[in-house]
Amino acid sequence: MAVAEAFVPSSPQRRGMAKVTSARKVFTGATKVDRFGLILLALLVVVAILAPLVAPYNPTVPSGLPFTPPLHGGHLMGTDEVGFDIFSRVLFGLRESLLGVVIVVTSGVVIGGLIGLVAGVAGGWLDAVLMRITDLFLALPAPLLAIAIAAALGPSFAHVLLAVAIVWWPFYARIMRGEVRALAARPHLEAAALAGAGPVRRGVRHLLPGAMPAIIVTASLDVGNLVVTLAGLSFLGLGAPAPAPELGAMSARGLQFLLQEWWVPVMPGIGVFLLALGANMSGDAIADATGLGA
Amino acid sequence: MSGLPKFLVQRLAAMVVILLVLTAIIFALQKISHANPVHGYLGANASKAAIAKESAILGYNKPVSDQYLHYVEGLFHGNLGRSLRTRRAVTTDLRAYLPATIELTVVALAEALVLGAALGLASVGRWRGSSALRVVMFSGASTPAFLLALLGVLILNGDLHWLPASGDTGVQNAPTGPTGIIVLDSLLHTDYATMWDGIVHLILPAFCVAIGPAVSIGRVLRGSLHSAMRSDFVRTARSKGLVERTILFRHAMRNSLSAALSMTGLQIGLMFAGVVVVETVFAWPGIGLYTDQSIPVADFPAIAGVTLVLGVFYVVINAVVDILQAVIDPRVTLE
Repeated sequence: MAVAEAFVPSSPQRRGMAKVTSARKVFTGATKVDRFGLILLALLVVVAILAPLVAPYNPTVPSGLPFTPPLHGGHLMGTDEVGFDIFSRVLFGLRESLLGVVIVVTSGVVIGGLIGLVAGVAGGWLDAVLMRITDLFLALPAPLLAIAIAAALGPSFAHVLLAVAIVWWPFYARIMRGEVRALAARPHLEAAALAGAGPVRRGVRHLLPGAMPAIIVTASLDVGNLVVTLAGLSFLGLGAPAPAPELGAMSARGLQFLLQEWWVPVMPGIGVFLLALGANMSGDAIADATGLGA
Repeated sequence: MSGLPKFLVQRLAAMVVILLVLTAIIFALQKISHANPVHGYLGANASKAAIAKESAILGYNKPVSDQYLHYVEGLFHGNLGRSLRTRRAVTTDLRAYLPATIELTVVALAEALVLGAALGLASVGRWRGSSALRVVMFSGASTPAFLLALLGVLILNGDLHWLPASGDTGVQNAPTGPTGIIVLDSLLHTDYATMWDGIVHLILPAFCVAIGPAVSIGRVLRGSLHSAMRSDFVRTARSKGLVERTILFRHAMRNSLSAALSMTGLQIGLMFAGVVVVETVFAWPGIGLYTDQSIPVADFPAIAGVTLVLGVFYVVINAVVDILQAVIDPRVTLE
C-alpha cells in the first residue's frame, strides 16, 4: 500500500479521481432536488431550441391588445405595452440566453483550457508568464470589466458575449493547469515520457483526457452564474436594441409598468430564474455524480 | 526578508501592478470606444479646426504611450475626463453619486456576511429542514438581482406598503453634508426622523444586493465547516466531551473563516455589478444609476470613471483581505 501511494502523489486541490459516469447515472444518483433541476433544465433547453415551433405567436409582431393580463385572451404570460405575446418572447429570450451561455462557456473552456494546458505541460518560464497573466485577470472585478468592455464596444448581443468571454477564461486556465500538474506526476505520464512521447502528444493524448472531467464539472457549475450575469448586462441596456426578445432587456423596458402591469417586467425575470435554477441544480448533480463536488 | 514583511511587500507590489493593468485596460477601452473626449469638451457641433486645436492641447496627436502616461498622471490629479452627458468633470459627478453607493454597499456587505454565516452554519448540520435550505440556497444563487428588486418593490411597496422603494430618502430638505450619506448626515444633524427614513429606504435595496453574495459565502463556509467537522482536532474536542455547539463555534468556525473571508473579498466585485442593477430599479442616487443613465447615450468617459473607481476599491479591498489573512493565519503565503 505504501509503495502504491508513493507513486501517486496527490495535489491538495484534488479530492480524488473523477468517476467515469453516464448521463443515466447522473440522474439516478441525484437527490430529489437535483433531479427536479435536471428535468427543469432539459425541459427549458428543448422548449428553447424548438421556440420557433412551439411559440404560440411571432415574438416581434403584435398579437393582441397591449397589457393583456396573463391567462387572458390566449396569452399565457399576457402581453406587453406594444401587444407582443410575452410567453413567445420569453421562449425566444431563453433561446438567446442558452446560445450566449454555450458560446461563452465554450470560449472559456477552449481559451482557458489551452492556456492552462500549455502552462501545465511546458512548465518553467512559460508556465510562470502564462499564470501571472491569468492571475492578473483573476484579480480584476470581472463583472465590472465586462460592463465597461461592452459599453466601449457599443450595445449589441455579440459585444456582450465578447465582453464576458474576455473576462471569463482565466478561471478555466487555473483549473486546467492545476489538473495537468497533478496528472503529470502520475506513473502513466512517466511511462509515456519513457516511451518517447513528446510534450504535444503527452498534452493532447495523455493529460487532456484526464483533466476534462474537472473542466466539465467546472463548466456545468458555471452555467447558472453565466445565465444571471448575461441577463444583468442585458438589463443595463448593453444587449440588442428593442424589439429583440432578450430577457434582461425586456425586464428593463417593462420596469416603468411595474406597479400597474407587473407581468411585463416580472415574467422575463422568471424566465431567467428558472433557467439559472435548472442549470445550478443540474451542475450540482453532475458534480456529485463525478465525485468532484464540494 | 522573510515571513510577514516579505508577504506584505510582495502583495503590495502585486497590487500596484494590478492597478496599472486596470488603468491600461480602461485606457485601451477609451481608445476603442467611439467617444472622442474632445467632443466632450467642445460639444458635438464644434468646427474641425477647433477640434484639431483642442486635440493638440489635450495631447491626442502624441504617441499612444505618451497619452497613456498622461492619462495615468491625470488620474493622480483626480482627472477622469469629462462626461459627455452631464458635461461636468467625471470626478465631480462621482463625488456627488459615490456616497449613496458606499452607503448601500457597506450595508449590503454587512447583510451578506450575517446571512452567509447563518446559511453556512444552518446547512452544515443535518436536521429536518436542511434540504429545504438547499432549495433556498439554489434559488438565491439563481435569482437575478433585478428580479429580486422587482418583486421586492411589487410586494413590499406596491401591495403591502411596508417599505419605500425609490431613492435614499423621502424627506424634502434632508441634511446634505458633510459625508453625503443620508443616514450619517442626519445623525450628525441630530435629525432622527430623517435618519430613520434613510434606514427604511436602505432595507430593500441592500437586501437585493446582499442575497447573491450571501449564498456564495454560505456555500464556501459550509464546505470548509464540513471538512473541519471531520478533522482530527474536532475528534479530539469531541472525545474530551465538549458540547457540539462549542465545537462548532469555538473550534470548527474559527478554522473555517479564512476561506469565507477570501470569498467575501471576491464577492465584492459581484456586489458592485449588483449595485448597478439594483440602484436602477430603486432609483437610488448612486453611481449605479449614473452608469445606467450613461450606457444608453454611450457616455464612455463616465462609465470608464465608474469602472476605474470601483475597480480600485475592489483591488485594494482584496489586497487588504489577503494581508489580514496572513496576519491572522501564519500558514498563508503567496504561491
